[in-house]
Amino acid sequence: MNITPLMNDGFDGQPAKRVLQYMERHKDQGTPIVGIYCSYAPLELIQSMGIVPAVLCSFADAPITSAESVLPANLCPLIKSSYGFILEGTCPFFSMSDAIIAETTCDGKKKMFELAAEIKPLHVMDLPQLPDEPEALQNWTTMIRKLQRFLETTFQLETTDQKIEQAIKNGNKRNRKMREIYDFAAMHPPVISWEEMYDIGFLTLPSTADEVLPTLEKMLERLRERVEQGVHFGTLDSPRVLVSGCPVGGDALKIFKIIEDCGGLVVAPDSCTGMKTFMGDIEENSPDPIKAIAKRYLEIPCACMTPNDRRLELLSQTIEHFRPDVIVDFVLTACHSFNIEAYKVGRYVTEKHDLPYLKIESDYSDNDVGQIRTKIEALFEIIQ
Amino acid sequence: MSRQYAGIDIGSRTIELVIISDTGEILQSLQTDTGFDPMLEASKLLSGVSYDAIMATGYGRNLFEISFDAATVTEIKAHAGGARAIFPEIRAVLDIGGQDSKVIALSATGKVTKFEMNDRCAAGTGKFMEIMARTLGYTIEEFGQEALLAEQALTISSMCTVFAETEVTTLIAKGADCREIGLGLHSSVIRRVTGMINRISPSGSIAFTGGVANNPCMAALLEQQINRKVVIPDEPQCMGAFGAALLAREMECKSEVKNTFITGA
Repeated sequence: MNITPLMNDGFDGQPAKRVLQYMERHKDQGTPIVGIYCSYAPLELIQSMGIVPAVLCSFADAPITSAESVLPANLCPLIKSSYGFILEGTCPFFSMSDAIIAETTCDGKKKMFELAAEIKPLHVMDLPQLPDEPEALQNWTTMIRKLQRFLETTFQLETTDQKIEQAIKNGNKRNRKMREIYDFAAMHPPVISWEEMYDIGFLTLPSTADEVLPTLEKMLERLRERVEQGVHFGTLDSPRVLVSGCPVGGDALKIFKIIEDCGGLVVAPDSCTGMKTFMGDIEENSPDPIKAIAKRYLEIPCACMTPNDRRLELLSQTIEHFRPDVIVDFVLTACHSFNIEAYKVGRYVTEKHDLPYLKIESDYSDNDVGQIRTKIEALFEIIQ
Repeated sequence: MSRQYAGIDIGSRTIELVIISDTGEILQSLQTDTGFDPMLEASKLLSGVSYDAIMATGYGRNLFEISFDAATVTEIKAHAGGARAIFPEIRAVLDIGGQDSKVIALSATGKVTKFEMNDRCAAGTGKFMEIMARTLGYTIEEFGQEALLAEQALTISSMCTVFAETEVTTLIAKGADCREIGLGLHSSVIRRVTGMINRISPSGSIAFTGGVANNPCMAALLEQQINRKVVIPDEPQCMGAFGAALLAREMECKSEVKNTFITGA
């Protein structure tokens, strides 16, 4: 079946190139660019100052060798890849960025950021990791205010509560549109592919609502056309897969590709590079917009949080909405937080939702594709 | 003549072929080394046998599927099916093959419900045992028998094949008893798989399959360590191929039923 690409702008399947073009346009116009690594970077604050957030490269296997000249080999590939890109100077987004925003999500990242700070101005935010403690919200609000001052000083810009409030409203609008798009993956069979969802997320994340909403509207129109024409991916019998766990991108996309090769459909990519970032709303018209931002971002259920019951709650909502047949938990090698949490996640989805669960621990190399394939095939055999 | 079904398990170290009758009885079982050209070895193995349908499993199954136009099944489902046909009461299968080890949990009706596979490193697999036996100067057949004769087990802390070999060499240099080192190595493998078994399947009897199940010391230690009933088939290394053959039979029966209802499919 020949399906017309959703964006059809010549960049389908090459989301990094599309975003690079977007960034270059901004760079040419003299817009300040700040590099980010993680979903905890408060986009709305950044955007309220007219700064463009650029998601930095962290998903390729190639720069890991360079990184290992400094970093230990038994570290998560995401951290090694990020640092390798910095050392090699091969991440165009890093080169364009005037400063970097970092968070203390895990030990490996913290210590890598110290080394990265030798190369470019880098602002670290101390992320509270007991999100339900009352101090957490207070501290994270303070951290976001400190970020505000850092950005104001670095870029000689100012923001106001009104501007932040506007950015919040725009951010919510953008996230809601993204959720409308994901709804087409909840259909049975899905009308949107994992690759299209990945592409769209890649573009939407750094963009403001004004910039991206027309594109998203156009996509929604095309998706509705697909529904009318009966266009869909896979069949009613194709196993529907929810992929949870560590972020998936670049060379780690092998997990999605293998699932697809085995006849499965990734209907819910539930990680930071998937739906997670677009799932919540920030309170609008609150007396303290920065605090409202802090509240929403603290609710992101990363495995670095403890306890992280929100991940299980969000999983339940995602399972009910997207109706997967199986759950795949993707854990990057040496990501202890997600690896340990996998036990709870596995127990939860099998007991509460009676769904077969499989943990895949892997890195960015392609030397375990055969083994992963066997596991995915065996997982699908369970539901046959 | 009644129909015959074949199952072929193309593993990393060996290839097994099992031929069964239409009642599921094993008529023939053959084994050869995988070597450098698995498809050549597979075709040699198949040249002397006759069958009506074949199913392939093991890491080489996809290559076989292309070369021989055969159906395939994962080694997980194949081992589960094979072991369950012989021991209907089991609730789990522990398979330790040439280069991987896996634990498969089965429902009361024999369906696979969960599995865990250690596959990226040879730790605790047949390959590990082979290298350790060689380091101690035993053949693979002697290794388990000799270890059983040890009075006590020396502690081996490394599970990595490379590190464990260094540890063993150090112990030999210190004049330690080879049998005791051997028993220590067996114990460390069993400790590791025990964790896997308890995670996947906390109770019920277990079938132990794969080439490593031929090692008497492994079998004895496993039963001791997990304190559950462990059953071992006569030819544990053939369970994958046997399970595949059973599935080949099942598939043919199903397609016959289908064909009577659907035409022109």
